[in-house]
Amino acid sequence: MTGYTGLLWLARRETLRVSKLWTQTVLAPIVSSLLFILVFGLSLGDRIRNVGSVEYDQFIVPGLIAMAMVQAAFANNASTIFQARFDRYVNDILSAPMHPWQMTLGFVVGGVYRASLIGVGLLALAIPLTGVGIERPLALIAIVALGLVLFAAFGTVVGIYAESWDATTFVANIVILPLAFVGGTFYSIELLPSPWEELSHFNPIFYLVQAMRFGLLGESDVSIWLSLAVTAVLAVAAYLWAQWLFTSGRKLKA
Amino acid sequence: MYRDYKRCGARGNDVPAALLPPALELRGLTKRYDDGTLAVEDFDLEVHDGAFFGLLGPNGAGKTTAISAICNLIRVTAGEVRVFGEPITSLKARSWIGLAEQDINLDRFLSVRETLTYHGGYFGMGREQAQERAEEMIDAFDLRAKRDVRAPKLSGGQRRRLLLARALMHRPRLLILDEPTAGVDFELRQELWRYIRRLHAEGTTILLTTHYLEEAEELCEEIALIRGGKLIARDTADGLRERYDATDLAGVYVKAMQAG
Repeated sequence: MTGYTGLLWLARRETLRVSKLWTQTVLAPIVSSLLFILVFGLSLGDRIRNVGSVEYDQFIVPGLIAMAMVQAAFANNASTIFQARFDRYVNDILSAPMHPWQMTLGFVVGGVYRASLIGVGLLALAIPLTGVGIERPLALIAIVALGLVLFAAFGTVVGIYAESWDATTFVANIVILPLAFVGGTFYSIELLPSPWEELSHFNPIFYLVQAMRFGLLGESDVSIWLSLAVTAVLAVAAYLWAQWLFTSGRKLKA
Repeated sequence: MYRDYKRCGARGNDVPAALLPPALELRGLTKRYDDGTLAVEDFDLEVHDGAFFGLLGPNGAGKTTAISAICNLIRVTAGEVRVFGEPITSLKARSWIGLAEQDINLDRFLSVRETLTYHGGYFGMGREQAQERAEEMIDAFDLRAKRDVRAPKLSGGQRRRLLLARALMHRPRLLILDEPTAGVDFELRQELWRYIRRLHAEGTTILLTTHYLEEAEELCEEIALIRGGKLIARDTADGLRERYDATDLAGVYVKAMQAG
């Protein structure tokens, strides 16, 4: 008895949930992000000058994809854990012969899966619409992996601490969404006056957006290594926090 | 009181009962909740392999807390829990326990078949094995017509049957039933009793909590009465009646709770 079979089934359950609710979990975020690309990029793009050497409709694509993926990874895990706690079927998992790290990983897989589907879908649509390419695929894969683990794990943490649905949506709407909007999705921070430019460096989503932009367009306001390092440190911290909750049972077990 | 020899079944060979570790062993179990409530204190309990054991007590007596401790669902304040000699922290011990909780707690996103199959998977069953067993359980609990229906769309009785089927999915050696017939109609209760009796006859150890005293008297070989998180009496139904000079278990219960 090693718990690996349980881990696979839990991961499968989490991906099944995403697939069963695909219109809400995958289609809706793709459509809303696509509208941003169409409205801001294609409609307004002609009236906005290039950002650096990049056309505006291409410039906003990495940030919009990052925003959609981050929100999906977070929302998926916050809701799946909170629902499982609320309906108490999380007990079926907590009582199963699985190690706490396997439970953490099993849940994180769901958020990563959902956000990856959205990212791939959006990219597949953005490439023909805007002509955006993939300049640095390895950097792109690395930042996507780190960013999704970060926000899926953070969603898990919030889903475990939350006492109501409002708490999970509060974090999504009041913390993650504003950070995503001011994370350099629609502009280069070089255009910002002081202290806003400096303050942007304290926004974790800024590094994610920059690294995504580097991966897709080959350009970034900061070093790719700094972006990867910051996101990696935060991803490890969020993951360990989630795992500590499963190990200690805090908020999961009375 | 107990079988001298374990029946062929869960373990396969006849082994003297004295040589077997107890199915369940609680030593000094104490649980104080975060709000300060002391639910059980220094609670000891031993249930022999193959027993049908009843745990009775009023609401708040500590029955569900004890069960939650056995199933890794609460953070134990102090004490030790062992299942068939293995500490509950081990995966092996957890794989031997099947739990049907008092409240219906079914995964709202899964159908009947998926509920069973995924539970089997969490407990280490491979895909084919889990699917095959799930079909067996669907037939055993008369859920064939609802096989692809999600839990929220089932009737109360069907949900209760699914809950029990899920607990049995991975063939547990120790089955814990926390008020399994609460809110269940007479016909389904009789049906569940028949199934539970058959499991016991096949060698499964059963720990039952119930508020229906006639249910405990009818099913259990041995009964423990708890109140305020402490064990106040433990014996067969006959033994308890004699001890409390009562004609039935209801009389025993009233006297024991007053004296306790």
